[in-house]
Amino acid sequence: MTAPIRTLDDRIRPSDTPDSPLDTQEYFINMGPQHPATHGVLRLMLKLDGETIREVIPVLGYIHRGIEKMGEAMTYRQFVHLTDRIDYLSALVNNWVVARGVEVATGTETNDRIEYIRTIFAEIERIQSHMLWWGVLGMDLGAFTPFLYGFRDRETLTDIFEETIGCRLTMNYIQPGGVMHDLHPNFVKRTKAALAYSKSKLHEYEELLSGNVILQERTRDVGILSAEDAVALGVTGPPLRASGVAYDLRKVEPYGVYDRVDFRTAVGSVGDCWDRYWVRVEEMRQSIHIVEQLIDNIPEGKTMLMKPAKKIVIPEGVYYNQMETARGILGMVLVSDGTSDKPYRIHLRSPNFNNLWALDAMSRGGRLGDLVANVSSLDLVVPDIDR
Amino acid sequence: MNVFGSGPGIERRVNVANNDVDVIVAPRGSSRPPGIISWFRSVAIAIRSLLTGMRVTAGYLFGRDKVVTQQYPENRETLEMNERFRGRLKLTHDDNGYMNCNGCKFCEIACPNQSIIIKDRRNPVNDKSELDQFIWRLDTCTFCNACIQVCPHDALEWGQDFEGAVYDRRLLVYTLNSYAGPQARLIERAIKKDEQPEELKATIEPRSRYGTGVPLAGDELPGVPALGGEDKEST
Ligand code: SF4
Ligand code: SF4
Repeated sequence: MTAPIRTLDDRIRPSDTPDSPLDTQEYFINMGPQHPATHGVLRLMLKLDGETIREVIPVLGYIHRGIEKMGEAMTYRQFVHLTDRIDYLSALVNNWVVARGVEVATGTETNDRIEYIRTIFAEIERIQSHMLWWGVLGMDLGAFTPFLYGFRDRETLTDIFEETIGCRLTMNYIQPGGVMHDLHPNFVKRTKAALAYSKSKLHEYEELLSGNVILQERTRDVGILSAEDAVALGVTGPPLRASGVAYDLRKVEPYGVYDRVDFRTAVGSVGDCWDRYWVRVEEMRQSIHIVEQLIDNIPEGKTMLMKPAKKIVIPEGVYYNQMETARGILGMVLVSDGTSDKPYRIHLRSPNFNNLWALDAMSRGGRLGDLVANVSSLDLVVPDIDR
Repeated sequence: MNVFGSGPGIERRVNVANNDVDVIVAPRGSSRPPGIISWFRSVAIAIRSLLTGMRVTAGYLFGRDKVVTQQYPENRETLEMNERFRGRLKLTHDDNGYMNCNGCKFCEIACPNQSIIIKDRRNPVNDKSELDQFIWRLDTCTFCNACIQVCPHDALEWGQDFEGAVYDRRLLVYTLNSYAGPQARLIERAIKKDEQPEELKATIEPRSRYGTGVPLAGDELPGVPALGGEDKEST
């Protein structure tokens, strides 16, 4: 399956057959880079015919920091802390991708305790990321209340991070060979309390927003992304699953301890904004379920198996490794020349970059007002697109 | 059946890449049948859905026990940070007030942002290398904890102070150690073995927060006068 390749010239050329009986003209407007609904410095060039979208052309580079290039000047252990900053709402999974890449390349085995801790934290982070998305989606669609509620409930989960790790957002916690700190003695108690709280709040979300007529009207059959388009464009994560493709790395290629827990993959059937909305809300429930299964069975063991001050030299070669973040598949290509303790080249396959291009496919032919719902339902984190 | 179709999903089992995967499919509800009566019904459902949401918000409006906002900065006195909170880098000291750092530069090497600059000097009494100045650049620090993790002497820790805003960026680069001199362990050993402890203690020299040798801090910038050696900013 391949998507047709269209150059920028193709995209900005006026369409041949404007389907309006009036003598209309196509025009361009810029949405962003400073637009509250693009969640960061993302610029969208919109080719419009009246209010109908003919083309969405994303313009990137406003928050490019060259993280991959910076990685070449850092040791593997130092590079981990930069990955916090690509997709800051999945910081721990980003750390984990680097950590696992290095572990696979050097042939380091981790123990069960480390994998349990990593999995639990990754799932808690997924819940908090989706909670924030839920609030922001509500705000994008015109309801301010969900924004406050989403942030409020997310606090209880970031408190868990702060207690064990010391940070709330950019954590640098999962490292090659283990995790930075052992769990805080309070961890199990606090996590259970936070999960119970989150569960009750999910019910509230359902009442407040899911059943709401305005949300339903604005998301139903809006921004439909077919399964073929989604696969061809390399869309991953909740948008892919909402299009009906039940592809979740946690199920298909389990890492951590996902093969030992029972959970369901949430999928949609149409691929509209409503499916993407529901898939994420259901994923929060499933993540709570996963953590509940693991939290009582964390085995004993060491939490760091490599000495922090020791040099890590990876044998010469190219290594790839991927994981499912809250937004889709994050992959890391790591090239080592086998002599230095720094990577020769690092490339990240970030989920948001691919998901962004689906915006054109799902918005074309739709209305300008629905574009905001589409952007919101993709849950884009712009620093992850530009890196 | 709810016309808007929110509610529990439908459980199924599908085959993906030769794996059986349990999926749960998003509910779609049912579309409204034609007719005026069903139109009125859908309007009633719509209004009810709005009222349900308002019931939730009203619960917060009138439920005083549900207040979550913290009154910062009024609650500064009672505010307690978590013990592992990464606030501001500090050097640890032993019970007698001597620091544990010996200037080994492990932290400087581990720091990904070159935020730590260690200057060493040689002690005339025991002829050992020791810390002269520990310069920390708060402005480029990303609070990654790498320095604390590698320190072999547990000489670094996080303070709980997070109010780091200043009006002059030169104030963000400063010396962490309050004195230059031998590590606590060496002083202790000198006292125990009676190897010139008083002479060793006499080599201790004070260091000020914005003293000389700190890049940026102290220096004159175009249009900005030099800061001088004293602490211009408490905390
Ligand atoms: S703080 Fe620790 S690692 Fe850094 S120089 Fe001092 S003893 Fe060495
Ligand atoms: S916390 Fe990280 S960035 Fe900051 S001084 Fe320590 S090693 Fe450097």
